[in-house]
Amino acid sequence: MPTYIKLTQDGLTTTEDPFTFVADDDQYIPPGDVILSLARFQADGERLLSEGRAVGVRVTADETVESLAYDLPRLSVVALEFPKFRDGRQYSNARLLRERYGYEGEVRAVGDVLREQAQFMLRCGIDAFEPADGSTPEAWAHAAGRFRHVYQRAADERVPAFVLRAERQ
Amino acid sequence: MYRYDTIDKEFVADRANEFREQVGRRLAGEITEEQFKPIRLMNGLYLQLHAYMLRISIPYGTLNAAKLRKLAWIAKTYDRGYGHFTTRTNLQLHWIKLRDAPDILEHLAEVEMHAMQTSGNCIRNITADPYAGATSDELDDPRVWSEAIRQWATLHPEFSFLPRKFKIAVSASAKDRTATRIYDIGLAMRRGRNGELGFEVMVGGGLGRTPYLSHTIREFLPTRHLLSYLEAILRVYNRHGRRDNPWKARIKILVNQLGAEEFARQVEEEWAKSDHELVDLPDVELARIRGHFAKSFETLPARSEAFEAAKAADPEFARWTRHNLHPHKAPGYAIVDVSLKTPGLTPGDASSEQMELVADLAERYSLDEARVNYQQNLILPHVKLEDVPTVWRELKAAGLATPNIDLVTDIIACPGLDYCTLANARAIPIAQQIAERFADDEKAEEIGELKIKISGCINACGHHHVGHIGILGVDKKGEEFYQVTLGGSGAEDAALGAILGPALPYEKVAEAVEQLVEVYLRERKDGERFLDTFRRTGVAPFKEAVYADVH
Amino acid sequence: MKGLTANRLIDGEVVFWNAGEWIERFADIEMFDDAAAAEAAEAHAKAQPTVVVDPYLMDLVEIDGVWIPVAYRDRLRALGPTNHLQHGKQAEGGKVVETLQHAHTAARSTGRINLIKRK
Repeated sequence: MPTYIKLTQDGLTTTEDPFTFVADDDQYIPPGDVILSLARFQADGERLLSEGRAVGVRVTADETVESLAYDLPRLSVVALEFPKFRDGRQYSNARLLRERYGYEGEVRAVGDVLREQAQFMLRCGIDAFEPADGSTPEAWAHAAGRFRHVYQRAADERVPAFVLRAERQ
Repeated sequence: MYRYDTIDKEFVADRANEFREQVGRRLAGEITEEQFKPIRLMNGLYLQLHAYMLRISIPYGTLNAAKLRKLAWIAKTYDRGYGHFTTRTNLQLHWIKLRDAPDILEHLAEVEMHAMQTSGNCIRNITADPYAGATSDELDDPRVWSEAIRQWATLHPEFSFLPRKFKIAVSASAKDRTATRIYDIGLAMRRGRNGELGFEVMVGGGLGRTPYLSHTIREFLPTRHLLSYLEAILRVYNRHGRRDNPWKARIKILVNQLGAEEFARQVEEEWAKSDHELVDLPDVELARIRGHFAKSFETLPARSEAFEAAKAADPEFARWTRHNLHPHKAPGYAIVDVSLKTPGLTPGDASSEQMELVADLAERYSLDEARVNYQQNLILPHVKLEDVPTVWRELKAAGLATPNIDLVTDIIACPGLDYCTLANARAIPIAQQIAERFADDEKAEEIGELKIKISGCINACGHHHVGHIGILGVDKKGEEFYQVTLGGSGAEDAALGAILGPALPYEKVAEAVEQLVEVYLRERKDGERFLDTFRRTGVAPFKEAVYADVH
Repeated sequence: MKGLTANRLIDGEVVFWNAGEWIERFADIEMFDDAAAAEAAEAHAKAQPTVVVDPYLMDLVEIDGVWIPVAYRDRLRALGPTNHLQHGKQAEGGKVVETLQHAHTAARSTGRINLIKRK
């Protein structure tokens, strides 16, 4: 079974991936958990969910998570696709999933996903990663842990500097 | 000025460590140049024509003696003993080695400095009025807000991979000394109906291939909501800004494509959905930041006999005071402009020795403060009038007292093809040639206010679109040619320049500027500046003079 | 005629290809009149990502018996900035440096490089 990196109670770990990505033109859907494109989910999502599978949606960079708002409680994973690591649109999608819609399932970064962006991704609420550069969970943990402080709130639990400062007074 | 606490110090130390590791990985071949490039850009490191260039951040242009001395030392130790102050109030070093960059970042961290986000598709250095805290015509010290924005924008996880670079300017007086109208976001402080302070929020200004002046999307935003509102603007931009074409990726394109009204509506809609409390700074933090900018001045008489006597005795000093001195809000004080525009030298450059001198003067005579402005000059903001003659003499000895602020020889020029891989033509020699023709102080004074701005390419780092005379380097069949524009302005009367005529070859540009000045001197009425005469006569008489032999 | 150039990764220095080595003086550059040989060298350079950045082939032209780059940008890379003649490779002087400098300052507006005359 293929693996990916997931943030668990034990930190970033290599995890087996039970999901299969089903392309829009795949006639055959294998048994088990599946990830679909937004369009395919809108067509076949209900049916697949009713079969008792875990279902996820893969969102491209020019799609917005607003269109998933009502379905989020039933989705196990939202995969955010980074076409190029420099394309930062999914950081907004990730934050909205967590902070505006309260999504508690897995938010997974797929596509051109590199360890040097680990901190940005985790802070935006992404908790799972399919790295494109062969990097290990240890490398991701290292990259994500480089800064002792943050200046602003985001989707994670880190306390921003201005709150720490107020607490000191 | 803002002083780092432990959190800020640890932040820049962590950043220097991170970059050291990343450079190591690049040298070992563990990351590609394509993956490394945004990383090094977000630490201010460009690969230029002759070497790497490091752009050091000078937040809202404010420095103290310790910082200036460190910059001088870094320039001497790792570069060629000089630095270039830019139109974004940063410092560039043009001869840097990649292997030294991590050490340099560590040295900068020692004096609470860094090179974070001075390049890359992220939020860049936040600028402010260079006379902040010293001028009487401000509603508040804009640097309080620039510092608040700076921290919020630093390593912002959502906004570090924008479609393109993002620049914010803050102004708090009626006179616009930060060119807010040509910024991605310009914030102009206003007083609301109930006397509270707020910002007029302007979005979508920018120069480059498609220049635009910004549009006001919100007439009055209470100051306490600044950060949450900025977040809404940045989010709309991050999600909807174009990513298919780098020439069409700035927010100005989005604002003009949607129209200001629709853009504003989208921002307001996004802002309405967000929980402002989570983003906006609490009063206690704003007060903490504000406390760093408070300055107390001695009670002095408004008039200094020593100063007046020095003016009467020395016409050269008197001339310098006419152009390089600005009134201070505290009686008995003055704001001193330090010109980095000696005719014949490179505009905006300062040697390490000169930086050290300005550091000394700042420490002894300016309450340990110096500034950089977007005209690539320095400022000593808090000098007692009685000390001004001494300061002038020391500046003069160091070649820093050319009496030319806002005059014809106070030219803005980007580094151009002499240094920059993006350039089409050289800008520095053009500036030198023009300045040499007007080097006579009396002549320059007679001409009066004339802002010449030169860019070596369409990226417009020299702000040519908003020059009274703008000069743009273009490549015509492999040769250096220059497009001249007239009538631009980056002040509160902002305007984009109009093209004069066909591009001129390198050897004709300085002569053309002389011809333009002659037309102005001939046509001007009633104390008009060059810009005023142009606005009255239009381009015709100027075009005729420059292209006369073409007919 | 072509020559291969790049920037050295570790320090950004402009370098030129000569028989498999990267050298700093333009005067020592290897010149290719055969396109295949030029492209082979470029391919070698592109396979050295921890040594050089952005290798590319320059067009060269002969001026008074000296071969120099056609493009201004490439000439400046071989010389240094024109506002500080003591900075960069030009400080060394010599016939090739002089040719580069004179060719640059004596450019004509016809755009045809081989009409450049010395003063």
